Amino acid sequence: MSTFVEKLRQYSKPGYYDEFDYHWTMTIDLDRCTGCEACVVACQAENNLPIVGEERFAQSREIKWIRIERYWEGEYPNIKMGFIPMLCQHCDDAPCETACPVYATYHNQDGLNTQIYNRCIGTRTCAVYCPYEVRYFNWFTYTWDEPLEQQLNPDVSVREKGVMEKCTFCIQRIRIAKDNAKDDDRRRVRDGEVVPACVQSCPTEAMLFGNSKDPEAKVSKMMKNTRGYTVLKDLNTTPSIVYLKKVHA
Amino acid sequence: MSKISRRDLLQYIGAGGIGVAGGVLYGEGVQRKVELLIPQVIPPEDYSPGVATWYNTVCNQCSAGCGISVRIREGKAKKIEGNPVHPVSRGRLCARGQAGLNVLYNPDRIRTPLQRADRGSENTAEISWDDALTTIGSRIGRLKIEGNAGRIRLLTGRTRGHLDELFAQFMNLLGSEHYQQYDFTYPSALAAANKTSFGTDVLPYYDIENADFLLSFGADYLGTWLSPVHYSRAYGNLRQGRQGQRGKTVQVEPRMSLSGAAADEWIAARPGTEGLLALGIAHVLVSSGSYTGNDRDEWSSALQAYSPSMVSAETEVSEDTIVRIAEEFGASTASLAIAGGATAAGTNAVASIVAVNALNHLAGNLGKPGGVILNSAQTFPAAAGSSPAGLQGALDLVAAMQAGDVEVLLVHDTNPVFSLPDNVGFRQAMENVPLIIALSSFHDETTVMADFILPTNTYLESWGDDVPDPGVGFPVTSLSQPVVAPLYDTLPVGDIILSLARQIGGELPIHMPWASMEEFIKDRWREEFDERMSEGQDQNFEAFWQAVLEAGVWGQPGAAAGGQPESSSSPTIAAIADPVSKFAGDETDYPFVLHPYLTATFLDGRGANLPWLQELPDPMTSVVYGSWAELNPVTADELGIEEGDVLEIESPAGSIRVPAFIFPAIRPGVVAVPIGQGHTSYGRYASDRGVNPIHIVATLMDKQSGDLAWAATRVKITNTGERLRIVKTDGVTRTLGRQILGPGNDHG
Amino acid sequence: MFDHGQPSYAEVNKDILSTMLETGPKYWMLLGMTMSVAGICFFMPWIYQLFVGVGAAGMNHNAVWGSYLSNFIFWIGLSHSGTLLSAVLHITNSPWRKSIYRSAEAMTLFSLMTAALFVMVHVGRVWFVHWSFPIPNEMGLWPNFRSPLMFDVMAITTYLTASSIFIYMGSVPDFAAVRDASTGLRRRLYTIFSFGWRGTAREWHTLGWAYTFFAVFVIPLAVSVHSIVSWDFALSAVPGFHHTIFAPYFVCGAIYSGTAGIVTVMYCLRKFLGFERYIGQVHLDSLGKLLITLSLIWSYINILELFTTWFGGTSYELEALSFRLTGFYAPLYWEMLIFCAFVPLLMLFKKIRLSWNKMLLISVLINIGMLTERFIIVATSQPRKFLPGAFGFYVPSWIEISISVGSFAIFVTLFLIFIKWVPAISIYEVKETLKPLRRNV
Ligand SMILES: Nc1nc2c(c(=O)[nH]1)N[C@H]1C(S)=C(S)[C@@H](COP(=O)(O)OP(=O)(O)OC[C@H]3O[C@@H](n4cnc5c(=O)[nH]c(N)nc54)[C@H](O)[C@@H]3O)O[C@H]1N2
Ligand SMILES: Nc1nc2c(c(=O)[nH]1)N[C@H]1C(S)=C(S)[C@@H](COP(=O)(O)OP(=O)(O)OC[C@H]3O[C@@H](n4cnc5c(=O)[nH]c(N)nc54)[C@H](O)[C@@H]3O)O[C@H]1N2
Ligand code: SF4
Ligand code: SF4
Ligand code: SF4
Ligand code: SF4
Ligand code: SF4
Repeated sequence: MSTFVEKLRQYSKPGYYDEFDYHWTMTIDLDRCTGCEACVVACQAENNLPIVGEERFAQSREIKWIRIERYWEGEYPNIKMGFIPMLCQHCDDAPCETACPVYATYHNQDGLNTQIYNRCIGTRTCAVYCPYEVRYFNWFTYTWDEPLEQQLNPDVSVREKGVMEKCTFCIQRIRIAKDNAKDDDRRRVRDGEVVPACVQSCPTEAMLFGNSKDPEAKVSKMMKNTRGYTVLKDLNTTPSIVYLKKVHA
Repeated sequence: MSKISRRDLLQYIGAGGIGVAGGVLYGEGVQRKVELLIPQVIPPEDYSPGVATWYNTVCNQCSAGCGISVRIREGKAKKIEGNPVHPVSRGRLCARGQAGLNVLYNPDRIRTPLQRADRGSENTAEISWDDALTTIGSRIGRLKIEGNAGRIRLLTGRTRGHLDELFAQFMNLLGSEHYQQYDFTYPSALAAANKTSFGTDVLPYYDIENADFLLSFGADYLGTWLSPVHYSRAYGNLRQGRQGQRGKTVQVEPRMSLSGAAADEWIAARPGTEGLLALGIAHVLVSSGSYTGNDRDEWSSALQAYSPSMVSAETEVSEDTIVRIAEEFGASTASLAIAGGATAAGTNAVASIVAVNALNHLAGNLGKPGGVILNSAQTFPAAAGSSPAGLQGALDLVAAMQAGDVEVLLVHDTNPVFSLPDNVGFRQAMENVPLIIALSSFHDETTVMADFILPTNTYLESWGDDVPDPGVGFPVTSLSQPVVAPLYDTLPVGDIILSLARQIGGELPIHMPWASMEEFIKDRWREEFDERMSEGQDQNFEAFWQAVLEAGVWGQPGAAAGGQPESSSSPTIAAIADPVSKFAGDETDYPFVLHPYLTATFLDGRGANLPWLQELPDPMTSVVYGSWAELNPVTADELGIEEGDVLEIESPAGSIRVPAFIFPAIRPGVVAVPIGQGHTSYGRYASDRGVNPIHIVATLMDKQSGDLAWAATRVKITNTGERLRIVKTDGVTRTLGRQILGPGNDHG
Repeated sequence: MFDHGQPSYAEVNKDILSTMLETGPKYWMLLGMTMSVAGICFFMPWIYQLFVGVGAAGMNHNAVWGSYLSNFIFWIGLSHSGTLLSAVLHITNSPWRKSIYRSAEAMTLFSLMTAALFVMVHVGRVWFVHWSFPIPNEMGLWPNFRSPLMFDVMAITTYLTASSIFIYMGSVPDFAAVRDASTGLRRRLYTIFSFGWRGTAREWHTLGWAYTFFAVFVIPLAVSVHSIVSWDFALSAVPGFHHTIFAPYFVCGAIYSGTAGIVTVMYCLRKFLGFERYIGQVHLDSLGKLLITLSLIWSYINILELFTTWFGGTSYELEALSFRLTGFYAPLYWEMLIFCAFVPLLMLFKKIRLSWNKMLLISVLINIGMLTERFIIVATSQPRKFLPGAFGFYVPSWIEISISVGSFAIFVTLFLIFIKWVPAISIYEVKETLKPLRRNV
């Protein structure tokens, strides 16, 4: 019996360790964020997001894995603006994942909502199911005006028409950090060793990224901030992004 | 970040050309056919496929001078990030800075020297470097010999470091006094005002990071003012960087900028009265006893006239607000007042800024953390560069051109045809110049008037050095190095000047013996190094150079800064006071105030040819690919204007047609139009898109600085009845009660 | 039963078989026309879309699903009355079913095929669509059985298979009749098709047994198919999709639109194949009554949907509701209500119910309304979900409209081919309904 329980446990938790090592998490402090959009360009550069052109932009065919949403409150002169960077929340209970018929999007043991372009057949169900509207579809095969293609990041694949894409938490950077850790005989990467492009660029340091399985990680501490909240909490998607509410003095 | 060595770098670059080019230039004139070796055949030491290398250099997308690190894979630049050891950027970068790759790999770059038969047309013919430089050199040489060197003019954009010195020396040796800079974004008024207030026109360090209360008069320090990345980082710290202490910010401006959106309080004072508001606050600071200096009585009498009630009536800011802000400002430990934007672009710009500066004095924060800290003018080893002349300098040049006093005009890195009002007549005046030479990477509105175009390397392919301005409170000098081999048959601008010097001959090559900019800079650094480090230093120069190259920056944190600022005395205030800006156009014919504003994406228009920036939603409106005119919803309602209605905006100086955008955070009676679009020739991404509001700005000037008063134009608006779709990403910009911005009611 | 007098057995054979065996130029012209329309309106734009990407359609970031999926639901819906109705009526032993069920079942088959085509048109990379089938592969990768789309694949495949078997089984004796009435190649072919049917008592017994078994089997399948299609929507949290009523709503809507479709097809069979004798007012009357019932259920569910949305009172659902009732697409919503809730009430009058022309009009209007309903579901909910900042807009492109038009041509083409290969009315079952034979008539 005990071996059976053992087997069952093993089956329900495959992987190298009893407990998975990582749960990648991001915090975004809206009291720091100024809406400057440096993160938007950083993601575009890092992840080979296409330049779609004015016509396609006008048709809402833009591709931005991270975007800044704006919300006004009040009327002139007592008017306030609230910015919120919106990217894939890497939901632990991700609606997009159950929707995909071919497992092109699934949860990995690091807590990432991964997107396998090769596998995607382009049903777009995941995008319909995602409450945060952070999934972007390749309506066309995009090309770069020569020689702009020279700036493409060789660590990230360029997508073709008909596949869905979205924020990967810069999985390529996670992979590099893990490789380095492995080379150094470390079991886990150090706190701060993985810095996604958007987090790296943010001039106000509004964003923080790390492993929330590590109680000592900065991000774990930041998550406990009393201003912390998750967007659309009532939908029970359990996002991996914790926002820190803007303070109103 | 992997380490690089100087030797590797040279070898690597050599494969593509710079080192080689330098040698060839020296030996055989400028004949240079790029022969791209296949680097993999004999790979340079640091070239291993699949392994990224990072090189540190300097961002050139605005004059903040952020240090950057560029990621190189297989000889191609892949990503630009902030240089973490650079004190300006501190590892971060703005959108423009990151889009530097779009400059390097821009499909519309000029790839070979060109000659143009008819000005203004896009038709050009390729020409060899040899022919171009011989023709130009002999023309300039003849003028020099004839003693007409004064008819040669060099106009550049904001240039610092040794390139500035090289330009100056070149013109000097020719015998012309006419090397001048024009940069729309250069804060001439701020420099002039600081000279008045603090006795130095070196831009000070505004210590936003440690301030408790930041009062900004029009300065969009998070978007476009002086050093956006540095101040954004500082802002983050002001808000949440200190345990249990959150700094407060207040923004005074007629149209909410990024900094206004971030502020706790946004005050839309009547345009042109911002300086008066500062005086009103100063009045309260003094009268309430918050200011305790010995010269209190003098201040009191100088500020006598600016009682809250008087100021309130003029500025249309309530008395309560004025008193409350003054009290908070006075009570905060570290309060800081800054001025920029429209406040620094009225006919009373200097007076207004001086009034704002007075607040810093009255709050006693000069030279203190969280206050205004002076920068010293002297840094190692490059100079901060000549200050660009504002509108006055441009007008002088135009007058000279019109009078036929200019025979050769060399233009580099500035686009006056685009960034000066139409009324100035820069383009028309250029018609009078027999020979115009553009040293440029792109065809823009000014380049298109040039007879010869000498294509320059981009900053990512060039050597250079830079002193950030404003500095960071201690001496800093950055070093730029090429991070990739030049893509095309282009040259660094410094090398072109040096080649020209050799072509012209005479004493020029004797005094300018360097083969290349690289050699020149290194030579100068060596001289400076030897001079400074002679005693007690056993570090040799090569090692020093190597270290600076790797770090991308040299600095002396903790070294004496610019000393304690002289405080502006009360009489100055009284003498200079000019509370309300004048406007071109009277209120009855032109009921609206035009508020052109710099955008964080395009700045003065220079970023418009970068596709990433064209596709970057404007932070406040989410609009992409085009221009728009912002109107208050109530105003729009009264005029029956809806988003997308094409408006004709007419000033005494001209008119533009642009679609309306209803913007809830703009003062009624003000119409704001972003600067940056409206290019007629600036490559495929920028051309024929939107409008340029600078063109209809009247040529009013701030008398004391000679700076263009670009916020002092009145306009009238007519709805043309046409419609144009505004391309934007925003759907509905209200939360509809959904708790998106946090639990509780949405905005706190 | 028969409006024009009862035919004899021989006449039945002759009337029905002649539609297969005698082909005039009109038929070829019609077939040529529908095939050209299908080619020009459906396949050419599709091929273009395959080259450039799904961006050829009007969908965008805010509405990633569009008219292709509303068409998909429409055709799946239309498939509902054929096999389902036929099976139900068979079990309940309704004699008026016999002359219409064959065509109705064919409708099921062809609308399912058309629906499947829309899935192909919809997906981004149709060349990999086989990955959604549980085909073993070297990567050990299976499709995602939690996905409602996966359920869809299963349900539709099963339904298509079962419906095909059902219609084929019911046609075996008729294939034998064709065999017996023809010569040459056709005879040889129908010998194979009819599995050597000889008409022995044992064969009849086995057929009856198997047919009833399949009828029972097909009913839950049909119900499941549209329930599952509804789950593609209802299993999401999207306001306007996330309703528990969706499964019965879709099934009801499907049967409703399918039944209206049968009326339309009946009209055409009568008109163009001269089946006046076999399809009469009994059918019209019964179908009319059925349509009224379905319309009332459909209206009830719609009211229920509005009510629960309003009663739930969340910002998301209320916004979706108000957009549906008053937003850009509101005219379509009201059009749907008029066509599907009010117009059918006219059938309460027997006079209208017994008029072929009026019934044709009503049945077509109902299906226009139902096509609209599907469009509204897809187009109004999705672009306005949770984050107002990402609210958007969707208008179908010309390519989509063309492909939608072309799909009707595909359906008609398939039907035209069908009537030349399979007796459009079940010969032997019509004979079963004839009054006992008098010799020497
Ligand atoms: N020099 C050399 N070249 C080769 C080969 C060789 O042996 N030597 N082998 C060849 C062979 S056999 C193969 S299969 C190919 C393999 O070539 P690639 O398919 O390019 O394989 P990888 O480099 O392993 O992974 C590609 C990227 O996927 C990212 N990635 C990892 N997990 C995920 C995920 O869940 N989602 C997303 N979106 N991205 C993810 C990684 O970070 C990486 O950037 O290379 C071929 N090329
Ligand atoms: N750690 C790690 N493991 C991996 C991967 C990874 O990325 N990381 N990638 C995986 C992937 S995608 C792949 S495809 C596999 C590849 O794994 P393998 O198939 O093992 O690939 P190789 O080692 O490249 O080649 C196998 C052998 O074939 C020999 N060989 C070469 N040419 C011929 C020939 O003509 N005839 C014969 N008989 N032999 C020949 C070579 O000498 C070599 O010994 O590795 C997988 N394993
Ligand atoms: S945010 Fe959207 S795409 Fe990302 S995991 Fe959640 S549901 Fe999926
Ligand atoms: S679009 Fe791709 S990832 Fe999304 S559900 Fe369809 S197949 Fe899966
Ligand atoms: S984490 Fe990486 S992929 Fe995700 S938004 Fe940031 S930069 Fe883009
Ligand atoms: S870069 Fe940072 S401050 Fe700027 S918009 Fe993104 S999160 Fe906000
Ligand atoms: S602030 Fe200026 S210098 Fe710094 S990154 Fe941005 S554009 Fe470059």
